[in-house]
Amino acid sequence: MTAVAPLSPSGRPPTGAADEAASGPGKEPDGAGTGTGTRRSRRRLTPYWLLLPAGLWLAVFFVAPLFYQASTSVQSGSLEEGFRVTWQFSNYTDALGTYGEHFVRSFGYAAVATGLCLLIGYPLAYMIALRAGRWRNLLLVLVIAPFFTSFLIRTLAWKTILSDGGPVVGALGSLHVLDVTSWLGLTADDRVLATPLAVVCGLTYNFLPFMILPLYSSLERIDTSLLEAARDLYAKPATTFRKVTFPLSLPGVVAGTLLTFIPASGDYINAQLLGSPNEQMVGNAIQKQFLNVLDYPTAAAMSFILMALILIMVSVYMRKAGTEELV
Amino acid sequence: MTITLSGTAKTFGDFTAVHPLDLTIPEGSFFALLGASGCGKTTTLRMIAGLEEPTSGSILLGDDDITHLPPHKRPVNTVFQNYALFPHLDVTENIAFGLRRRGVKSVKKQVEEMLDLVQLGDMARRKPRQLSGGQQQRVALARALINRPQVLLLDEPLGALDLKLRRQMQLELKRIQTEVGITFVHVTHDQEEAMTMADSVAVMYGGRVVQLGEPAELYENPRSTFVANFLGTSNLIEAEVDSEGTDEPDELRVHVVGDDATLRLPRARCAAEGVDAGTKVLVGVRPEKISLTRTDGADSASQGGSADGRAGVPEGRNRLTGRITDASYLGVSWQYLVETPACSELTVYEQNVSRDDRLTPGAQVVVHWRPEHTFALDATQDAAAGEEAV
Repeated sequence: MTAVAPLSPSGRPPTGAADEAASGPGKEPDGAGTGTGTRRSRRRLTPYWLLLPAGLWLAVFFVAPLFYQASTSVQSGSLEEGFRVTWQFSNYTDALGTYGEHFVRSFGYAAVATGLCLLIGYPLAYMIALRAGRWRNLLLVLVIAPFFTSFLIRTLAWKTILSDGGPVVGALGSLHVLDVTSWLGLTADDRVLATPLAVVCGLTYNFLPFMILPLYSSLERIDTSLLEAARDLYAKPATTFRKVTFPLSLPGVVAGTLLTFIPASGDYINAQLLGSPNEQMVGNAIQKQFLNVLDYPTAAAMSFILMALILIMVSVYMRKAGTEELV
Repeated sequence: MTITLSGTAKTFGDFTAVHPLDLTIPEGSFFALLGASGCGKTTTLRMIAGLEEPTSGSILLGDDDITHLPPHKRPVNTVFQNYALFPHLDVTENIAFGLRRRGVKSVKKQVEEMLDLVQLGDMARRKPRQLSGGQQQRVALARALINRPQVLLLDEPLGALDLKLRRQMQLELKRIQTEVGITFVHVTHDQEEAMTMADSVAVMYGGRVVQLGEPAELYENPRSTFVANFLGTSNLIEAEVDSEGTDEPDELRVHVVGDDATLRLPRARCAAEGVDAGTKVLVGVRPEKISLTRTDGADSASQGGSADGRAGVPEGRNRLTGRITDASYLGVSWQYLVETPACSELTVYEQNVSRDDRLTPGAQVVVHWRPEHTFALDATQDAAAGEEAV
């Protein structure tokens, strides 16, 4: 092997330059002198300038109304006499007592819709991210295509689709699916409209893209050589999915479920258009208190209860899912 | 276990990544597939791993046909180029992955043994991203080796490491291969790495194996310009086979085109077919085989000693005259570029012992080397093939 030795001078990359490049960006360029002092402090302020527009927006349209609503929620009085802050915390207990059922129903529907979104969205996101090849972009456009039409119009369309005597109800009836769903308490009297099933279907449909997009982005990021490594290490295709693909897509699952569950539990359009008074969600109750009953304190208190419950559920969920452990 | 590829080919659409390939990789050998990127070496490796299915031909492992076996059913493991460690699993679970998939319950002892083999005992509970490149590389190796595969495939395993670590891991891989005694198939674009580690090297170019042999054989006796240039550096000089024969039947005489010089080389070291008088060939010589002597002292041997007492050019060597155009100091040696009538840039490495100070740019010199260090190649191929690929 003596013949190899003389190769080294020519075959060797310039190590000195590589080392320099590696340590270069980490180091602050020092010795620039005092002249750059102002420039440096200006540079230090840049992040704050960049934060300013969003900060202002949030202050005016989020923080201020939040405080206003918080004060409203502990007021008492009536529309004629005017509302006054009396620290009336019974607004909260009263709201919870009267509308407890609505809260339970909201979270129940939202949870079922989130589960359905995951079941429908995961295979689709998987397919688009890992198998679609050149169809990928077209399929992604199709996923977000519904957004080109108004939320309201699309939900109204569902009203027609699920209408009594329509083809969907007819098909489900003749396939005896309705027998099963009515036994489960999801439908009643051979109709779908104005039942829990219709509301859950509407929620699932409307929030599906919010599930698919984060799932897609986390699946798409998975290095395919990891899947090859799993197959190389004796994992069958199903095991590869269970042990590698799914765990690595968990950040997307967490993001997708949150993006679906949170807006779905506060939604009132679907229950309003596709449900009957028996399917009213907490959003409907808040809307009624604000716009029909004009009982602002109760409506505000309910909004805060909803927010608090969602915050608690989300933080418990995030801790359980342990996303910080994932890449 | 011996791997036998017969007529194995792979095409992707219109592109032929690997032309029908016949290759036997003997049991227990450290075999390198060497070539520039896009030469089909990785595709060949992936076909052995089962990650690509051959378009035609077959792959035998021992006597078993594994051509269409899915990767999880092959007794073959791979160390991937970027290691492909599972980021959500710690070192222990990464290494135990293969054993667990095959239903082995108690993996602890074997994992510990593997951690010892790759010297990572105290890293067992770390996640891959908490490890350095070299450590990740060892985990990838341990993860493959723990399964006691019949064949270990290594896809550019050292590519991401810095030079010093790469040297160290080359020796380490060699040590481990000797220790476990299984067949290693190593894909690399680094000719030095292939030469240091492998028992035999297959040089691939354009989806074909262009030459196969032991490293020293490939280096000393390249059969094509690609191998001559890709493995180290070669000086290639255009020449014509002389009409007058030599006294010895084993020797070939060639006349350098554009220069008044005749070179001699052993007939066995001529890779060109049917060398009749007048056939054009490319005569090659490695830079470290060449010696330099200043023209004014070159014939001192026949005159019985030169003025400065240095030896002249011994009899019987191939010689060309020229002028030094560049001299650079490389530490272990000096590299000279010499301009001769036939070749504008003849590269010469001189060992850094007792150097003649007068060998500076501009000096008139005689370059000379032994005829048995000369080789000849078919002149119809591109003389620069493989040069820019390094």
